[in-house]
Amino acid sequence: MNFEDELRSALRRREPSPDFTARVLARVAATPPPQAVQPWARQPLVRWVAGIAATFIMAAGAFEYREYRGEQAKTQVLQAMRITASKLNKAQKKVQMISHRSNS
Amino acid sequence: MPVPAPSHAPSLDFASLVRQHQAMVFSICWHVLRDRAVAEELAQDVFLSLYQHLATLESPEHVQFWLRRVSSNRALDVLRRRQRRPMVSLESAPEPVAVSPKGDPLLGSALRRLVGALPEKARAIVVLRYQEDLDPAEIARILGIPVGTVKSQLQRALGLLREKLSRSLGEISL
Repeated sequence: MNFEDELRSALRRREPSPDFTARVLARVAATPPPQAVQPWARQPLVRWVAGIAATFIMAAGAFEYREYRGEQAKTQVLQAMRITASKLNKAQKKVQMISHRSNS
Repeated sequence: MPVPAPSHAPSLDFASLVRQHQAMVFSICWHVLRDRAVAEELAQDVFLSLYQHLATLESPEHVQFWLRRVSSNRALDVLRRRQRRPMVSLESAPEPVAVSPKGDPLLGSALRRLVGALPEKARAIVVLRYQEDLDPAEIARILGIPVGTVKSQLQRALGLLREKLSRSLGEISL
């Protein structure tokens, strides 16, 4: 026998344990039945439409999210400006009090 | 209790499919992994997965192609996981008892051991080539790699096997 035939013989198929089929079937019996794929869902056109719809939904979601983040940033800037203004007011009042005291 | 095939695929009787292909699936796993217990477990997983996907498979040829692809890829996955996390080798476990119809049993055992020491992809290619008697184009489709890669890896693997075999036979004869 040549080398490749020896390899073929060495790597020939082997049978698993005699109870292999029974064990597979037992595992299958303990598994919930697979979900049937509806024939219409296998149509290429349906898949394309579903893919395009999913892309649109994701794009719209991303746009909405950007809008939301923009609104959030605007609110934060306004809040920061309000805080700064109130601090400035307080500081101005203190300066006025001090100058009033030094004048009197 | 007989397990029927999913109702939407009445032409394919699942139990017969298991009986028909179990030697092929188990042997791919076993020759790639060199571990009988893990190979049996993996072969069971492959058939469980087949049960889940049976409705999407259109013909007996498609089932066979699917089984070859899934068992090869899953065996390679196990191999990669094992290499990342080394385990105690079970190679010392006895090999399955099989009557050798032809060929030298010692040589066969040495060849299986050497195939089991090949790099993972080359190992799967050699198993699909010589266990399943597939041509490089079919192996390339199953493993999802270019035909040129299959041919070059096969040549390199054969060279390596010849070299190592002649070295180990030389050691035995000493």
